[in-house]
This record gives sequence, C-alpha cells and structure tokens, in this order.
Amino acid sequence: MAIAAPILEARDLTKRYAFGDTTVDALRGVSLTVQPGEFVALMGSSGSGKSTLLHILGGLDKPTSGEVVLGGETISGLGDDAATRLRRDRTGFVFQFFNLIPLLDAAENVGLPFTIAGQDPRNGEAADRIRDVFELVDLGGKEHHRPDQLSAGEQQRVAIARALVNRPSIVLADEPTGNLDFTTGGEILEALWRSCAKRGQTIVLVTHDAKAAAYADRVEVIQDGVIRDEIVLGRRDDHAAAPLIARLAQLGL
Amino acid sequence: MVNGLARFAWRSLRARPLRTALSIVGIALGVAVLFAALVTDAGIQAGVGRTVDDVMGRSDLRVGAFEEKGLSASSLSAIRSAPGVAIADPVLEQRTYLQRDALTTADSTAAAYAPPITVIGIDPTIDGTATGLHDLQLASGQGLSPTSTTDVLVPAGLARDLGLGAGDTLTILGLNGPVPYRVVGLLSGAGPDPTSEGRGVVVSLAASTALFGDRGATWVDVGLAAGATVDGVVVALEQRLTFEPFVLTDRADLAASLGASTAGFEALTALIAAVTLFGGAFLIFNTLSMTLSERVREIGLLRAAGTTRRQVHRLVLIQALILGVSGSILGLVLGLAMSVVIARTVGSLGDSGVPIDGPVVPPLGVALAALVGILVTLAAALEPAIQAGRISPIEALRPAHVRRHSLVSQLRWLAAVVVTVGVAGLALWPIALGPFGLGGGATGNAGIIRPLVVYAVLLVVTMLTPLILGPLGRLASLPFALFLPAEARLSRGSLARDRKRTALTVGALTIGLAMIVALGGLAGSAHAATDAWLTDVIPGDLVATSIRPIAAGEGVAQQLAAVPGVATVSPIARFAVAFRGVRVDAAAVAGSDLATDGRLTFVAGDRRAALTALDAGGSTIVPQAVADEFGLKVGDTLDLPVGGGEAVEERIVGIVARGLPGQSGESVLIGWSDATSHFGVLGADAFAIRFVPGRMAAAQAGLASAARGLALEPTPISGIASAINDAFGRLFSLFDALALLAVLIAGLGIVNTLTMNVYERVREIGILRAAGMTRRQVWRMVVVEAGTMGVAGALLGCLAGVILGFALGGVAGLGGPGSGPTIPWLTIVLAAAFGIGIAMLAAFQPARIASRISIVRAVQFE
Repeated sequence: MAIAAPILEARDLTKRYAFGDTTVDALRGVSLTVQPGEFVALMGSSGSGKSTLLHILGGLDKPTSGEVVLGGETISGLGDDAATRLRRDRTGFVFQFFNLIPLLDAAENVGLPFTIAGQDPRNGEAADRIRDVFELVDLGGKEHHRPDQLSAGEQQRVAIARALVNRPSIVLADEPTGNLDFTTGGEILEALWRSCAKRGQTIVLVTHDAKAAAYADRVEVIQDGVIRDEIVLGRRDDHAAAPLIARLAQLGL
Repeated sequence: MVNGLARFAWRSLRARPLRTALSIVGIALGVAVLFAALVTDAGIQAGVGRTVDDVMGRSDLRVGAFEEKGLSASSLSAIRSAPGVAIADPVLEQRTYLQRDALTTADSTAAAYAPPITVIGIDPTIDGTATGLHDLQLASGQGLSPTSTTDVLVPAGLARDLGLGAGDTLTILGLNGPVPYRVVGLLSGAGPDPTSEGRGVVVSLAASTALFGDRGATWVDVGLAAGATVDGVVVALEQRLTFEPFVLTDRADLAASLGASTAGFEALTALIAAVTLFGGAFLIFNTLSMTLSERVREIGLLRAAGTTRRQVHRLVLIQALILGVSGSILGLVLGLAMSVVIARTVGSLGDSGVPIDGPVVPPLGVALAALVGILVTLAAALEPAIQAGRISPIEALRPAHVRRHSLVSQLRWLAAVVVTVGVAGLALWPIALGPFGLGGGATGNAGIIRPLVVYAVLLVVTMLTPLILGPLGRLASLPFALFLPAEARLSRGSLARDRKRTALTVGALTIGLAMIVALGGLAGSAHAATDAWLTDVIPGDLVATSIRPIAAGEGVAQQLAAVPGVATVSPIARFAVAFRGVRVDAAAVAGSDLATDGRLTFVAGDRRAALTALDAGGSTIVPQAVADEFGLKVGDTLDLPVGGGEAVEERIVGIVARGLPGQSGESVLIGWSDATSHFGVLGADAFAIRFVPGRMAAAQAGLASAARGLALEPTPISGIASAINDAFGRLFSLFDALALLAVLIAGLGIVNTLTMNVYERVREIGILRAAGMTRRQVWRMVVVEAGTMGVAGALLGCLAGVILGFALGGVAGLGGPGSGPTIPWLTIVLAAAFGIGIAMLAAFQPARIASRISIVRAVQFE
C-alpha cells in the first residue's frame, strides 16, 4: 500500500523562552508527522510543551529552530501577512475558552473567516458551507443565537464549526474540553471525530485528559519538551479510553 | 486605613499611566479654560476700572453736550458757578484726518479705510497741572504751552506708527484745510481719551478752536468741592443749565456702560469654560468607570477580605481626588499661559468694546478654579464610586465581564455633573471676579440666562445620546461600511459593547463640536448683520465724511453729484437726543433719498408715507431695537427736550428693522428740517454717494479727488464692512480656539475609550487574528471604530450647534443688531471633518496596541 505524503511535518523543533537572565526550553527537538485525515492527540501534563507545539504547528508562533511543513510548504519562517493568510485559508483553531465574539450571533461567528476575507457570509458558497458545518456540529436552528444565549457546549461547537467552515488542511484544537463537564466535553469530541471520520478532516488535539485523547487514531505523549512515546490506537467507533490508560500506566504516566 | 487606601488608589492609577495622564490632561484643560476665562474677565474688569479712571481722571461728573455746537460759554459759566463745583474743565473733541500724500480710494479694501484721528482740545492751565482733573503723562518732550496754538502732543504709539518725534510736524485737516502743528511731546499709553484707540492728539483749546471754528466744549468735567455730593451737584446743574440740552455722566454710569459692552464676551468665555470642563468631567467619569470595570475582581477580593462599602467608595473618591488635584494644578498653569494669549488677542482687536490691558489673577480665582475642577472630578466619580461599592465579594470568583448599567444611573450621573458644573459656575463666578460679577448688573439676564439655555440644550443632547446610540451608530458607520464592511461591522459591535462608555465619549465630542458650530453660526450672523446693516440703511456705495458740519447752502452735495458717474448724493448728520432721560443716537436723513434708493426695511408703518412725513417734519422713524427698548409703536410720540426747558414732539411714523449706526446703538431717524431747526444740527457730517450702476470703479478716483478738494474723506462701504468683519473674525477666532480645546479633550476621551475597548477584548482580537485577520485589518477596525464615534459626534454636534447658534444669537450684541439665525455650512463641514479627524487620530495608539497583540497570549488571556 502506498503511503500518502504527510499533510503536516515538524522537524526537530525547539522553542526557547527568555525571561531576563533565565531561559526556559519549552520544546527540545520535537519531530512529528501527521497524515491527511488523521486524528492525532498531543498529550502531556501542564508545562510539558504540548500547547507550544500546537501554536507552532498552526503558525501562531515561531520555533527557535527546526521547521514545520504544511502541505509541502514550509510555514515556520513565514512573515506575518503570509502566516495570517495561512491561518485564514489552511488551518482552523479551537481554543480552550469559548472563543466567540460576544456581539456576533452564531452564524456570524462561524462566518468570520469569510467576513475577514471580504466575502459576504450570507450568500453563495459561504452560506452553504456555514449551513453544512452547523449540521455537522448538530447546531441547526441556533444560527442566530448570540453566544450568551448558548450553553457552554454549544458555544464550543460553534467554535468548532468556525474552525471547519473554511475546509482547512488541518484543525488544531487546544484543550477544547478543558473547561467543560464530562458529558458536554463528549459532545465536543464527538463533533471533532465526526468531521474526521465523515469528512476526512485532519485534526491535531492537545489534551491532558486520556478520555479525550482516546478519540484519536494516535497519541503522542510529550514530556519536558520532547515526545516521550507514541501510542497508536487506530480508528475506532467506541472511543474507549481503557487501552490508552493501560498503556500510559505502563509508561508510568 | 485611609493611608492604606490612598496608597492603593495611587498604585492603581500608576498601573495605567497613559489613562491617568490623559485624564489629568483632560481635567487640566477644562480648569485651564475656566481659569483663563476668570483671569481674562478680571483683566477686563480691571480694564473697565482703568478706562473709567482714564476717561474721568479725577473728575466726579461729566456734563456732555448734545449738540454739535457744543456747550456754550454761558453753560460753562453756569457750571463753574454752581454750588459744590470746585473745578470745571472744558474739553473740545473732534474727529478729523491727517493729511495724506495720496488718496487711494480706488482701492476698496480695508487698507484704504484710513482710521480717523481725534483732536482733543484741553485747557493747559487746568489739565496736566497738579490741581487739574486729568494727568498728561509724557513719555518724552514737554507739555503744551498755555499760549501756543501750534503745539501738539501725540500718543507714543501713534508717533511710532507715523515715524514722528518731538520737534517734527504733524499736519491736521482743519475746517479751512490742512494746518501744521509742532510735536512738542509724546504721551505715554493711549493718551487722555481711551475711546480714541490711541489716535487722540492733544492741543490747547485755543488751537482746537482755530482748527474747527468757534464752538463750545464737547464736554465739561467737574471736580467737586470738599463736602459736596454728586447728587447735590447734579440737582444744582439741572436747575442752572437751561441754555442747551446736556447729559450728565458720573463714574458709576460710565463703569456700568463699559461693563455692559463686555457682558457678551464674558458670558461666552464663561460658557466655553463650562462646556470644556463638562468635557473634562466626561473624561474623568470614563476613566474611573474603566478602572473600575478592570478591577471588579480585585475589588471583590478586597470586599471578601473585609473591606467595607464605604472604604471602597473612599478608594474611588481618593483616586478622583488625586486626578482632580493634579489636573487642577496643571490647569492653573496652563490657564495663566492661555490668558496671556487671550489678553493679547483681545487687546489687538482695537475697537472691540472689550477693554483689557493684560491678565489679572483675581485673589479668589485661583482657589475657586481649582475647587471647581476638583468638585467636578468628584461629581464625575460619584457614580463609579457607588457602582464600586455594589461589587459583591462573589464577583471575585466570576470570570471578568462587562458590567451593565441601567439607563437611570446614566442619566442620574449626567444630571449630577451638569448641575454641579452649572451651580458651581453660577455661584463661584461672580465671587471670583469681585464686585462686577458675570455680565455686570445691567445685563445680568443676557449674561446668565442665555448660557443657561445653551447648557440645557447640551444637557438634553448628551442625555439623548445613550438612547439613540443604536440607530446613530448604524448611520455613522455607513460611510465606512461602503469601503471596509468587515471592519465596520466588527467595530460597530464593539461600540455597542458598553453603550454608556460610547455614549459619553460621543457626548464629549458632540458638545465640543456643537460649540464650534454655534460660534460659526454666531460669527456668520454677525457678518451677515454687518453687511445687511450697511447695505440696508446707507443710500450709497461710498460714504464721504467731513470733519465739520456742512450746511446745505454750501453746495458741497451738488459738487459731489456733478462728478461723472455719481448718481445721487444724500447728506447725513449724526447727533444725539435725550429721551426719557437717556441719551439716544439720532441721525438727520433725507427721506426722499432713502425712498428713491430703496433703503430701509419697514417692519411697521407705510414706507412711502413715512419717508415723506420725515422730510415734512414733526415725524421720526425708529429702529426696531429702539422701539423694543422703550416699548414704542407707530403713532406714539417722542417728547425730546431741546434746551431752555422746551421739548419737541416727534411722532413715530415707521419702525425699521435696522437704523443707522450711532455711537452706542442704532439711531432714530429725523428729517433735516427738524434736525436743523430744533436739534442744533448745523449741517451734514457725511454724504452717502451712489454711483451710476456699473460705473463705480471708473468714477471712484474722480470722486476721491473731488472729495479731497472739499476736505472730505471717502470710504467705500465694502471697506467699512471688511474692517468690521476683520475685527469680528479675530474675536471669533479666539472663541473658536477655546472651543477647539473642548474637542481636544473629547479626543483624549476617545483615546481612553478605545484603549479600554482594546484591552477588554484582547482575547477577541486574538481570535480574529487566529481566524485570519491581518494586523492591518485589526488596525483599521479600531480606526473605523473611532471614525464611527467621530461621525456620530459630528452628526449630533452639528445639529446641536445649529440649535445653540440660534439660542446664542445676539448675546449682548455680539451678533449685531437685527442679526437673524444663520446656518454656517462651511463651519459645519470643517467642524465635522475636524471632529472625525481628531477621533481617527486619537485611534492611532489604541489601534497600534490592538494590531500588536500576540495571538498566543491573547487566546490564553482571561
């Protein structure tokens, strides 16, 4: 079987922060490959460097050394304008806190990438795509609700819809369930998984929660700025966390 | 605990140095304008006092002549022999011109309008002596010799302008042609008569009689004997002076009359100061509200740790006190500097009716300006303090959120600040100025009520702003939505986030722009009134003035009419009559000429019949202003004393919108036959000359030459108009500059509000950036936000300004007689552009901050 070209490749990434005389190495030589349509979880404890890695993979931040290649193009050295275009057209982000613009309704929030690009999200293909992602995240009928009229889970699903609406090469989710209860968190992960399973959306998820990581095809365990281990779970419908937890226990995590 | 709170308050202000500095500057500018207005007005009051001293010298009473022939020798003897009179000092004053080498009357600009000089004839044995009533302070040279008829004293300033020194010759146009005089001394200052604008030259009575023919004193100044009272001497003089009509003026009358002429200026400066301070209060309120919304959690923690509500109130009020005291101190310094500039500007206006030598710091003014600044700051802090006290300890546990305020609390706060500023201003202003107070006694109503109306308009507009913010914001963002739809949509949403904050920011801009537009309207009215006045009442394109009365029999009018291109020549004489014990300006005119030329706008009475009756005698036409002042209507009769205890009856046959300009108001019109037979008018002192249409340019040079040959000074109407408009222009530039400060304060408010808006949505901006918004788009979004506020402020400000212009119209004569409301379109366009420009400029720094926000840190920002 021919192996597809990776959609995302990180090569020997390091990230060093300087605080006066003190320096902190958040990443110390991380290499990673993500295949198209794959759901990868980056797992680790607080301060392990997983969020830093995610920010660099999505072009929000730059590595101190190493490079990131997305769809065959090196993105780690892009200037601000090029990085902005990249975020608008080729990546989608979901953050931990409910990152919606409170004064815009759900549909307007989802249509932000179109609005920013100067397109009218109420007409044409943009409107079709917005309708489509609303169905995908199971929020039909809530298009014109403002964020404060939605539950926490619904707000996060709107954020997912916004990340997906532009059909990006990759969606990067940073602890999207970190602020939610178990049931609501499950709905979010289901939505992400559906987009991966049904639409072939590539997803990189950062989490410290094994139950969330269990939705992924593959889990990369990060500790002290390096990838300590890789756990391959494969595509499963049941999302059972037990095998992953057992494996983590074996590793002493 | 207060010490601890003070430290906490101080550290809290220091944590946001830009915002704190902006607030201090805001209140400082408000206090500065207030203090500058106080210092300027005190300077004006001192100027009034000095002018009274200059005019009256050591005299207690002035007996003025009504008639051109002056006070007769019999009157002078009667005054001298009246009981209680120690010294009677006659003065003969006459306006004339200096000999000019070439008359450039073809030039219709203001430069061709040569200001006349005033020749003041004095008795050198009285004035300038130790026992005399007037001092003649010499800058150089010597005084007048009692016997010489060829010596002249010239004010040093005029001498400098003319390049003259002691020993040089000054040639003055006299009754019989130019007469050379020898300059024997230079007078320091403006000279003995401040009303001559530094152009009064002094000669002996004998010399002035030789120059202008044998006529009586223009006035006689009276020094009282020891133990005599002004009232007693007035009674004695009224009994003895029966030879010709006269008017008595004491020092208090003069001060009141001068005070009245400054009332409009003072009222307007007071109003601008109050409005500016109001803008400063907006800024303070916004600052404290922002600080509060930022620190909700912190205050919640303090409350959880046992801080009482009262202590929280105190914390906010201490912050306000720090801002108020710092702003007030800075404001006093700025205000003093500003008052120097104002005094110079007003001083350069010449005959503006506003006497000022320089700024005078009133003893209580410093304390009161600072006190008003601090009071306004504290008033602005009340609502934030109350809101802070209501924060519960539980707030410390909740995520940060925008606190919403009810409309009632917004309106309550606005009303509190407005009432505080208004009451403080009204109560403190007169105290700060001393004995004269706002607008003087005589015009107290015009001085206080109109500004109050203006204040009420501003209050209504600012209170309406929060209510109409939604539709107003949509309307204001339309121009931006055309070009930058995404930025316009997002920024409009941001402005709706905290409606109160936006409303206050827009409100501050609104009132600043409203003042500019209102002043523009007022200036426009003044210009229009000047032009309308001159063209409506003077039956000519040009006025040739004479230094002596020219009798009809001399044939001067006929000679002027014979100049090719001249269509009509109409004689005019200005004099005064006494009506109900008050001096009223009067003018002798030819009714038939006015009828033919189509001058005068009649508001009552039949035009043709009235002008015919005027020439027939026994009739008068009065201007609307005089009719209103005395409650007169067509058919009423004016009983005008003419000396010897007799009076002449003049029946009112018409009321006109505008009359001829007189010395202190508009003139009642009287026919030539009555003027000469009853009121001592000897002849015309001016001729209105109308050219044949289209031939003015060609005929002007010939007329100038003919006029000069007849010892007349020709001045085109356009020259007079541009000279008056120039003075108005400079006066209104000063007011505009003060009003611009209010807009500047509003600009600082916008910086504050936008910065706060940016800080409050750091995470949102991070999301937008993560979703693909470029730095430039973020920058534009914030600038569009400011621009939307600018357009909203401009829309409301221009509307309010037009309304204010109507309300302010004619404050103590600033608008000129008969001035109607004017919509100043050019000012509106310029003010709107300025307001929007300032708003967008104010966005520069906040937009920079917004565009530099790090996405990674923003999305982690709670």
